[in-house]
Amino acid sequence: MTHSTNVLVPQSPEEAVASFGDGAGITVVAGGTIVMPELSSGRLRPERALVLANAGLDGISAANGAVTIGATTPVLALVGATPEPLSTFAAYVGDYEIRSQATIGGNLCAPPGPESPRGDLQAPLLALGARIRSAGAGGERTEPVEDFLAGGEGRLVLAIEVDEPTSSGASAIGRPHAHNYTIMAVAAAAGADGVRVAVTGAGPRAQRLPSVEQALAGGADATAAAAKATDDVTPADDALASAWYRARMLPRLVEQALSQL
Amino acid sequence: MKLYVNGIEHDLETPPLESLLTALREELAITSPKAGCNQGGCGACTVIVDGEPRRSCLTPLAAIDGASVTTVEGLGADGALSPIQAAFFDHYATQCGFCVSGFMLAAHTLLEREPGAGRDRIIEGLAGHLCRCTGYVKIVEAVEAAARGDVDLSRDRDRESEFLTEGSQA
Amino acid sequence: MKAVGARLPRYDGLAQITGQVRYVDDVRVPGTLWAKALRSPHHFAGITKLDTGKAEAMEGVHAVITKDDVPLNVYGHLSALGVPGDEPLLAEDEVRYKGQPIAVVAAETEELAQAAVESIEIAYDEREPLFDMRKAFDADAAPIHPWGPVYNHFGPPDHRRIRKGDVEKAFADADVIVQGVYRPQAIEHCPLEPQTALVVPEADGRLTIYSCTQAMYFSMGVVAAHLQCPLNRLKFVGGTVGGGFGGKVDTATETVCALLAMKSKRPVKWRWTREEEFLASSTRAPWHMEIADAVTSDGWILGRKMLTLHDAGAYTRFSSYGLTKHAFHHTGAYTIPNLNFNGYVVFTNRVPTTAMRGFGVTSVSYAAEMHMNRIADVLGLDPFAVRLKNANRIGDLTGNMVRLKDPSTVAVMLAAAERIGHELPAELRGMTNEPRTGELLPEHLKASVATNGSED
Repeated sequence: MTHSTNVLVPQSPEEAVASFGDGAGITVVAGGTIVMPELSSGRLRPERALVLANAGLDGISAANGAVTIGATTPVLALVGATPEPLSTFAAYVGDYEIRSQATIGGNLCAPPGPESPRGDLQAPLLALGARIRSAGAGGERTEPVEDFLAGGEGRLVLAIEVDEPTSSGASAIGRPHAHNYTIMAVAAAAGADGVRVAVTGAGPRAQRLPSVEQALAGGADATAAAAKATDDVTPADDALASAWYRARMLPRLVEQALSQL
Repeated sequence: MKLYVNGIEHDLETPPLESLLTALREELAITSPKAGCNQGGCGACTVIVDGEPRRSCLTPLAAIDGASVTTVEGLGADGALSPIQAAFFDHYATQCGFCVSGFMLAAHTLLEREPGAGRDRIIEGLAGHLCRCTGYVKIVEAVEAAARGDVDLSRDRDRESEFLTEGSQA
Repeated sequence: MKAVGARLPRYDGLAQITGQVRYVDDVRVPGTLWAKALRSPHHFAGITKLDTGKAEAMEGVHAVITKDDVPLNVYGHLSALGVPGDEPLLAEDEVRYKGQPIAVVAAETEELAQAAVESIEIAYDEREPLFDMRKAFDADAAPIHPWGPVYNHFGPPDHRRIRKGDVEKAFADADVIVQGVYRPQAIEHCPLEPQTALVVPEADGRLTIYSCTQAMYFSMGVVAAHLQCPLNRLKFVGGTVGGGFGGKVDTATETVCALLAMKSKRPVKWRWTREEEFLASSTRAPWHMEIADAVTSDGWILGRKMLTLHDAGAYTRFSSYGLTKHAFHHTGAYTIPNLNFNGYVVFTNRVPTTAMRGFGVTSVSYAAEMHMNRIADVLGLDPFAVRLKNANRIGDLTGNMVRLKDPSTVAVMLAAAERIGHELPAELRGMTNEPRTGELLPEHLKASVATNGSED
């Protein structure tokens, strides 16, 4: 159902940035796992589509303690090759085929699903204090992942940069099967500026848990800090789990993740 | 747009943002990949693209211009069954048969990546595929047998099937 | 005897593993049009306006059908058995479930068909929907059908009932009354092949219907009835089903495709999306079951009173048949001498429910077995003992007056106990299927055996 769409297939990062321009009226297709069902069903009928498969935006490189991950790096490639807890979270996504097709950039930009949260790599990226390099209106810029997520749409992600944490933790509600989005998962990472904790599945998007982080900074132990988690989020009912269940599971997941630090 | 499907070169007229599944089924009339959900949830449309299993319903043609695609029609060589096909046949790993092409292609690539894969790796490798009939037991048994190399490729299954057809008509 | 006991190849196995099996969606006929449906976005509403003019005028649209195009629009899946029909093929003045088809378009492409559907002008008068069969059964609930809240063709009375023995005496004699309410929920069959039909109009005026139905001749009758045409105008091609589990006896797509093919004089295919499958295809029914058993403190069940509500969804389909099977099985694998069962088919604004593996029986098996556990729990007895004591035996009489010739309850329970290593006392371990006689015949069963003992 895509006969009238102008399809652009850039062959280099520069060409991708030029084609994207200010992002108006354009739909970005990276791995396609989220956007293709929208296109095939006719729910999304873009003027222009930017297919990034050949744009050379994939790849992982390390320098000076920082790891740079290209936007179209497949989720599968993150497993075992990127800092924790990102690597563990990448293994939670879909099945082998979805992981090898879905990209980190697509996951970062995933809008909340109609029946469930998605974009479950946002939590480890928040915990790691990732920096996002993107193009779009006003040119290229690099910003903290919180700012990128708050700024929302209309940017073309080029690369994601994370530092190796001194220690990390990850805890998730086990998925009943590989076809689900993660119900809820907590990422924690300790670095020079303290401990960051983030959750996915407790709201439409992943978010940090500042009350937990402040309690830890104030000397609270994992259990006491974890009890603060529900101060920061208001879980909702959706197709995967009830708000009641999530609110009760969240402190447990936080405690488990913190206990691994 | 150009694809090599089961070794044959095709210039495609299907628009570039359409899925590989649509191109295979609607333009090339290769119907073994199935449109079970058209949203990546069931695995019935999985084909092999440049050696890797991919959900063809999630793959825009524009992303794979020039790629080699294998479907079950092209899995065996010279009309013979591939080991995974023979294993599925011998272990009765199909019932309605709608999901089987996706399962076999996923299993085939799994055993190329991890020869001799054990039960846990097989279950993990097939986790994205849904079967509503078999309960998966026979499917996993078939892939385990193929992983062990426990497949007799010298059997003439064409003749066996003919025998059964004759027998049932008699 | 070449086949019995032999390990034979599947006759269609080679075709399946080489991708040669042709399911309906795999059939290729040049010039095939795609069908798309306008479905109700509301659970319950009156239709105050329906204008398909814009859709019909679109280039590439070859046919649009509504209720006015169906020779016999209201029909029932059990009409062949004399049950009056209650379900329109395409909605008339009201829609009673979300996803109910109202109009269907056939166009050159799926995209165009969808655009045509979106151009149909329609207005609704929304009403308060009912989703819970128990609330729909309340005396003050506003019924969703003019004839009332329940299917009323068992009749009279308006429900399926079973009466056996003297249930009031059983309750008077009981040491304990054990009650329970059981509510298994709807299940979507979710076959991997969605509902699909392809209908080709032939030069001789016949229609070739490629169908994924589980019940060829049944579906043929349903299509012929809606079309008001003789069976010999229809050639059904089917038998290759990509999973059904009961959900593909509903003839969901064939009739609409046939009407579109006749109107457009072109082959027409209708393949539901997965969203449509979950939204509008029938499900296994939810059930509401209330059981009260009169039991003795040593574990004999003297009598059972049971009320069952079967959620038909918006229309009957096969519900009365499913409830009847349910009624016959309402004591599970056990013999209870005194019974009072009332079962109602209740309408709600949910998608119509239908057959699914063990239609009508799985729900009551679940309830009956849960209730056996509850009885054992209340009495502080071994659940195996309660089951074995009340197990069906040769010569026992079921609720629907069938004398059992070879029931398997005792053998199954003993085998289950052995498999899980559950120790049983000797008198239970040695139980057999043989008729209860003499000293083995408990007092409460004597009357029933004496009354019916000479039938065979």
